[in-house]
Amino acid sequence: MGPHKEITKGQRPGFTAAPPLERVDDALRSTLVQRAVHASTMASIASTRTLIRAGAILVIDDEVHIRQALASAMAHLCDRFLAAGTGTEGLALASRARPDLIILDLGLPDMSGVDVCREIRRWSTKPIVVLSARHAEQEKVNLLTIGADDYVTKPFSLDELVARVQAQLRRSQLALVAAPSAIECDGLSIDFLLREVRRDGRLIRLTRTEWQLLQTFAAHAGRTLTHQQIFDAVWAKSFGNPQQYLRVHLTNLRRKIEREPAAPRLIITEPGVGYRFAALEP
Amino acid sequence: MTVGAPLRAWITWSLILVAVVAGLLRIRQDADQAQIVLTMLLVVLGGSVAGGRPLGISLAVVSTLIIDYYFQEPYNQLTVPKPLDVIVLLAFAATAFVTTQLLASARQEADAASARASEVEALSRLGAETLRYASTKEAFDAITALVQRAIGATSCAILPGDLPARGVRSPTNPHADDITAGDVAERAIERARETGRPVVVYGDGTIREHVSTDIGTPANLTLRPRALALPLSAEDRHIGVLLVGGDRPFVLDGPRRRLLAALSYYAALGIERQRLISEAAYSEALQEAQQAKDEVFAAVSHDLRTPLTTIKVLAQSGIERWERSSAAIVEQADRLARLVSDLLEMSRMRAGGSTLVPELNTVEDLIGAALRQAEGIRNGRTIDVSIDFESPALLGYFDFVHTLRIVGNLLDNALRHSPKGARVELRAERENGSIVLSVGDRGVGIPRTERERIFQAFYRPADATLDGGHAGLGLSIARSLAERQGGSVEYVERPGGGSIFVLRLPAADVDDLGSELA
Repeated sequence: MGPHKEITKGQRPGFTAAPPLERVDDALRSTLVQRAVHASTMASIASTRTLIRAGAILVIDDEVHIRQALASAMAHLCDRFLAAGTGTEGLALASRARPDLIILDLGLPDMSGVDVCREIRRWSTKPIVVLSARHAEQEKVNLLTIGADDYVTKPFSLDELVARVQAQLRRSQLALVAAPSAIECDGLSIDFLLREVRRDGRLIRLTRTEWQLLQTFAAHAGRTLTHQQIFDAVWAKSFGNPQQYLRVHLTNLRRKIEREPAAPRLIITEPGVGYRFAALEP
Repeated sequence: MTVGAPLRAWITWSLILVAVVAGLLRIRQDADQAQIVLTMLLVVLGGSVAGGRPLGISLAVVSTLIIDYYFQEPYNQLTVPKPLDVIVLLAFAATAFVTTQLLASARQEADAASARASEVEALSRLGAETLRYASTKEAFDAITALVQRAIGATSCAILPGDLPARGVRSPTNPHADDITAGDVAERAIERARETGRPVVVYGDGTIREHVSTDIGTPANLTLRPRALALPLSAEDRHIGVLLVGGDRPFVLDGPRRRLLAALSYYAALGIERQRLISEAAYSEALQEAQQAKDEVFAAVSHDLRTPLTTIKVLAQSGIERWERSSAAIVEQADRLARLVSDLLEMSRMRAGGSTLVPELNTVEDLIGAALRQAEGIRNGRTIDVSIDFESPALLGYFDFVHTLRIVGNLLDNALRHSPKGARVELRAERENGSIVLSVGDRGVGIPRTERERIFQAFYRPADATLDGGHAGLGLSIARSLAERQGGSVEYVERPGGGSIFVLRLPAADVDDLGSELA
């Protein structure tokens, strides 16, 4: 949690020259550009202090104070900050301004946040971070299943929200380029082409299931995956209900890749919901 | 068969006998004995078919005498000098008797079979009717009406087992002498309920229990039953009593007993049906109530957390502007949030609780999540974790989210009672069929007298400083959540000072994972 603490205290690091996403149009997406962007994003992953900026961030929340507080907290993350107080207004604004990320409160006065989320997902793949006041895990699972990317539970800390927003922005930038062939974070390097995992240069031996788990997480880094989503990705169609074994395999994987398996920093447990690969968070 | 029918058969067949004998007398000289004997046998057979055993046997006796008297030499005398004639006579008599007997018993069997067939038909019709009735009450009324008709009793009642005996019966035909309204009947019902056997109240007022109700048809009316309490059972459980009786003794013979047994079976079915229907209605109502509760909790949770969020977020942006009180506001908001969460969890548990779903989980996963959660409340204190990473991962059957809450509460408790700079120890191990998580602190410990009270809701130690945000619910919630999934939370005194809180949960084994782990 170190780096963004510094940010909130005003010692903001300089912005990188990561191109605003809209400008990366299709014609420019030649291999060359891809490599360049890839290199720059990979560099930004390696240096977690680097801020990723978005063109526009939209907040849909009926509490005016929260909108104001978020406006100041998000100011350094985006060129334009948009706010809406109702679901209808939010949907209109989202379709008009096409924000790069949406922060959505579930307790809206006019329509359910779930419906707003579903509606946005019909035409946009941009990250959606949900603010939920309930401690209902099933609701979170439902939201992630219909396409929300992450959530924070009220009362949340601004630091936490900023970190999650950053992670989503990074992820969405990475998604524009080809899937990375290698990732390095916290002393762990994953080479997807060679199918190799090294910790501080030392080769780690993984079972087939563990490798598939790690690959799934890394491919969706920064995003909370539900148990079901992970299970579908790794085991595909399998007989019986071995979903619970996921937790055993995951524990074994952690023992191999985490520095402190009992205090994991790479694969974070989201209680009752699933797991999140935190490699992209500062 | 009308009353006149046997008499007519007697007259008819006596006349036929006379006519046949008269006819045979005319040809006595030309016919040999075999023709005469066979003709007479024909008459006996015809008589037994038409008039039954008494007529058949009478005809056989008379015919034997007639053959001897009229058709065996010397004629018109009963003496039989020729041994061969004696054999003929004996053979005729024997044949006539045996065929009469055979015919009679065959006919009895045929009668009984047709009686049973009509009984079965009546019962199956009744069964279909009882099932057709929309309400159990209608079915009960139909059954009691049938019992009354069949037994000739004036009243009949079906008393489900869970209702008090008194006041439920209303004899369909009340009568001053009706025994089922009196205390004797109450005693009989009680006895039938206790023993599970049929209890009969006799004409002279005696009460006797029977293994079966085979009482027969005694001529003495005081030996006939006046009331019968028949226990009803379904799947070996006694579920009620069928009471039948009235103002005069009645007969309990074979067919009536069978009918009564079948009817009591239908009554038992009716009671079972009533029970199942009310159970279904109850569980439906329960489900609705649970859903309503969940909605209320969700709404309250939302209403309490939303303003807290606003306060916290505003204070956090205040920190950015270096406003002095902002950090304190954030801290207090966090405390309030914890308190709200504890209170909500507590009331949810008091209201029947959310459903816990124990699943196969690893203890390491649980501890990792708990440590991450505790980061905010650690306040410079360290949590030392000891887990054996060399052995296979510790597995348990527990509800992850709620167990995380247990461990979180125990860690929170230990951290709050630890001196600054002290270490809190978290240890996980397997002990037979349990996984054991112990949280140890170096606080002041807990006096012997307080050791159970700390698990009561809203408990605060007498000397506790008002450290705000702690309603004394943490340990109570922890223990209750552990017990609801087959575990426990206990206090243990820590050697060298301090406390250890021990959480036990059912362990799981990795064996059944089989090749999955390969």
